[in-house]
Amino acid sequence: MTIAASLADVHKSYQVGDLEVPAVRGVSLEIESGSFLSIAGPSGSGKTTILNLLGALDTPSSGTIKIGERETKGLTPKMLADFRNTHLGFVFQTFNLIPVLTVMENVELPLQLHGIADKDARTTRVMRILEEVGLGDLADRRPNELSGGQQQRVAIARALVKEPTLVLADEPTANLDSNTAGEIMALMLAMNKKHGTTFVFSTHDPLVMEHASRLVRLRDGKVESDERRNGNGNGAG
Amino acid sequence: METAMEPVEMAKSEEGARMKETVPGVLGLRATFRLGWRNLRRNRRRTWITATTVALAVLLLQFSNGLLVGIEQQSFDNLINYQTGHAKVYADGYFELRDEFPLDFAVTDTGAVLAAVRAVSGVAAATPRLTFQAQLSNGLDQVPCLGVGIQVRGSDTDVFRIPQTVVDGEYLAEDGEGILLGSGIAEIFEVSSGDWLTVLAKTQYGAYEALDLPIVGVIGTGNPLIDRNSFLLPLATAQYILDMDGAVTEVAIRFSARARESVTLDRLAGELGASGEYDVKGWREMEQDFMSLVQMKRLGNIIFLGIFIVLAVVGITNTILMAAYERTREIGMLMAIGLRGSGIRRLFLAEGALTGLLGGAVGSLIAVGLIIWLAGIGINITAIYGDIDIGYPVKDSIYPALNVAVVTGGWLLTGMLAALASLYPAARASRNRPVEALRHV
Repeated sequence: MTIAASLADVHKSYQVGDLEVPAVRGVSLEIESGSFLSIAGPSGSGKTTILNLLGALDTPSSGTIKIGERETKGLTPKMLADFRNTHLGFVFQTFNLIPVLTVMENVELPLQLHGIADKDARTTRVMRILEEVGLGDLADRRPNELSGGQQQRVAIARALVKEPTLVLADEPTANLDSNTAGEIMALMLAMNKKHGTTFVFSTHDPLVMEHASRLVRLRDGKVESDERRNGNGNGAG
Repeated sequence: METAMEPVEMAKSEEGARMKETVPGVLGLRATFRLGWRNLRRNRRRTWITATTVALAVLLLQFSNGLLVGIEQQSFDNLINYQTGHAKVYADGYFELRDEFPLDFAVTDTGAVLAAVRAVSGVAAATPRLTFQAQLSNGLDQVPCLGVGIQVRGSDTDVFRIPQTVVDGEYLAEDGEGILLGSGIAEIFEVSSGDWLTVLAKTQYGAYEALDLPIVGVIGTGNPLIDRNSFLLPLATAQYILDMDGAVTEVAIRFSARARESVTLDRLAGELGASGEYDVKGWREMEQDFMSLVQMKRLGNIIFLGIFIVLAVVGITNTILMAAYERTREIGMLMAIGLRGSGIRRLFLAEGALTGLLGGAVGSLIAVGLIIWLAGIGINITAIYGDIDIGYPVKDSIYPALNVAVVTGGWLLTGMLAALASLYPAARASRNRPVEALRHV
């Protein structure tokens, strides 16, 4: 089994005034390709910090992070931006769609940033992923014309459109009602199974955790437990 | 499991066969401006307030510039039509002493000079003139002024447009005696056509000569030098008073409509200036002081009103700062999906430039509309200012003129200034750290 991402003895502290506050304390984790991994834990346990570190949005105070075979340490902001664009997809709690762009244009954005100049090629790819997330007929809508669940589907399509190594989802269902949350988790799981894309998502909702093929619980910045479950996800984990 | 593809790999994949690569990490120029334009519409009221400030400044600058260009063109036409022609031939040495109107630097072989000038390609007409210092008197008061002897029979009207400026009486008769009096002098003496004045002048040998002459007509050219200081009389009469015996002080020239001024001037200089006997001067050189004044006024206008544009454009800095602050989380998301700092900068620079271009377009369009409208009907300066000298030789009404290149250039420059004004907020936005920007509430 290949490794999609790994953390080795990763520490992360934040400076708050004169005080150094540790957020992650010596986390080591190997995430296999095709995992559907949930990071759970109470507020302040370090879930979001781990996701930010895996997402090359933040740098560790010490330790090593690898996405695929590539270490993110030492990369310049420009290289990190290119790296994120190529290898990572993000799904945010608040969807973070651009309100002035249509569904189609929001999903197309990562492809434009990927340097794909051919409009037709981009459209083909965007329409294919929109069909997969069930929004094929809403491509021309603006985000404010969609429900919360539909907006999160757009965000998932945007994360998947360039076929990344890893999709990171920070509390993707926190802003949704339980029915819609279930649908979104089912969609992410379906994408994980269909494309084999590795998903890492944070949550503190037990119902959401149920979908995970691997459940890593954090407490006070450390791994409290690492539980592998059969039957869920792509089979990996 | 499909692995992530580097951009180049993606270009080689299935449908990617048709995919061409652009620079990754930044949006293309078109996409940047399209997104920028839509972002401007997020807060329409703020965009319009900022754009309106720019529009007002641009309107002021473009309209006043149109007014200046119009006045300048009218002034140049006035100088050429009533005072200088396109060029003049003087005897060598006259031009340097021209303020003293020296009669001993005269063109004596007038016929030969006229023939030589008329033979030059690009010359439409030429006429001899005799300009001299004189006093006009009504028996009680004396007013110093300039007398101009003109060749009524034949050529003066081919070069100058004096007949159209007669406001009282008529133009000089071909074989008559009399003077055409500047309207300003007529006011001083409170005379009109049919009245008589005495012309007092020194001959070229220094003797005083006086001659009573009837006022045939009164002229109003709008040119203060003529209206307030000059009278015209037949050349033969002037030569008689000054004892000039067929000599003149200058030969005035009008170029044909299609002639290129500098080329024709060079030809004239080659034809007449080579011997060293004559000096050929173009109207711009003759009116060097006026031309310098025009340049100064134009520059002053641009600097003065340019300050308004800079102030208006600085408002854009504030608008972009606010927009960037409000969209901090969005900036974080864009950075997360791979937009580089330079891409963020481009986005906000585009928004600033578009605000400037929008305001500039509105201001320019209104200015163009005003200029075209007023160019048709004119602005009656006599009604506004009365007889006050506005510093330009123009009469009654001024007509703004449209200079498309200046309007277009000004518009584009406003866009560039607006982009410059957005540099700071754009750079600030691009320095956001994605993780912090995403946390922004």
